[in-house]
Amino acid sequence: MSLSGLLGLRLPLIQVLGKPYVSRSWWRSYAVSSHTSLEGRITVKPLESRKTFLVDSYKHMMETSPVVLFVHYNNLMKNEDHHYRSLVKQQGGRLTMLRNSLFSVYLKNSKASDPCAPLSRKKQNRKHPLLPLLKGPTAAITFAETNPVSVAKILKMLERAQDKLFVVGAKVETEVYDVTQLNQFKTLPSKPELQAQLLGLLNVLGGAGLVRTLEAGSQTLYLTLSSHQDNQSSDNKKEE
Amino acid sequence: MITKYFSKVVVKFNPFGKEAKTARLLLSSIPPAQRLQGTQIQSEILHASSSKTPIVKITYKDKKEMELDPSTVTFQELASYFDRHSRQLKLKESIENS
Repeated sequence: MSLSGLLGLRLPLIQVLGKPYVSRSWWRSYAVSSHTSLEGRITVKPLESRKTFLVDSYKHMMETSPVVLFVHYNNLMKNEDHHYRSLVKQQGGRLTMLRNSLFSVYLKNSKASDPCAPLSRKKQNRKHPLLPLLKGPTAAITFAETNPVSVAKILKMLERAQDKLFVVGAKVETEVYDVTQLNQFKTLPSKPELQAQLLGLLNVLGGAGLVRTLEAGSQTLYLTLSSHQDNQSSDNKKEE
Repeated sequence: MITKYFSKVVVKFNPFGKEAKTARLLLSSIPPAQRLQGTQIQSEILHASSSKTPIVKITYKDKKEMELDPSTVTFQELASYFDRHSRQLKLKESIENS
């Protein structure tokens, strides 16, 4: 039995929990209401609504996938939709149709810990570089790993799709790429290969040489400072 | 927007530019059945450093060509601009059929 039932009162939940209700009309002039869940999470839309869920899922999608390709799709028919989804899946990716307004809510609030919480316009990032891509029907192809080879395969597949599905931009790690930058990116070898190449290069250069190079910076700083000190001490002696 | 009388659509735009919305809405307003019936659609993605200007070029079934820069107009304005000739064709068709 709930607390309000015991007391025989019909109080609003917020008052029962000991949190006095405060009108937040000064918070946001354009949207007065916000919702507080039992756990204390404050969201603009109700906690169990589809909108809150989608914004949360977009946050998860963008934070867990290092490579996200943004594609424009044109009135895909059911069989085409299935076809492209399965092709993307074969390459280890995932095709997600986006709801533009909710995705842009996430982008604007992406620096905040909770993208669903009410945030003043000043605290939002309203110039996120991905925002201009969300005009018209947009979908995202996400990859769990940074692998230019699978990106290249997807791009080749999308070339065949012509104007039904085409890439308009991408997010790779923390950078935003346009189509030309993406075409350069797809020619790179995969990340483990690059790391192996770097390791090989370091081995070839030899341990001693590398150590000397790394030490050189601090050594020259030390020498400059010590000579400076010598100069100053000799000046002082002259003055005396 | 009346897309029935288009025989060829050429769209060039930069997805990061302000013309993107108009251009992409135009592309998505063409029904999928029409693609199968032989309307050619060509889209080209420009980038910030390319010298080409964004453009929408439409060839109608009577071979009249019309073009417009999507960066200066909204989709509604673009639609009404291209509908002007489409409506003429529609009227002509309905007179011929009656």
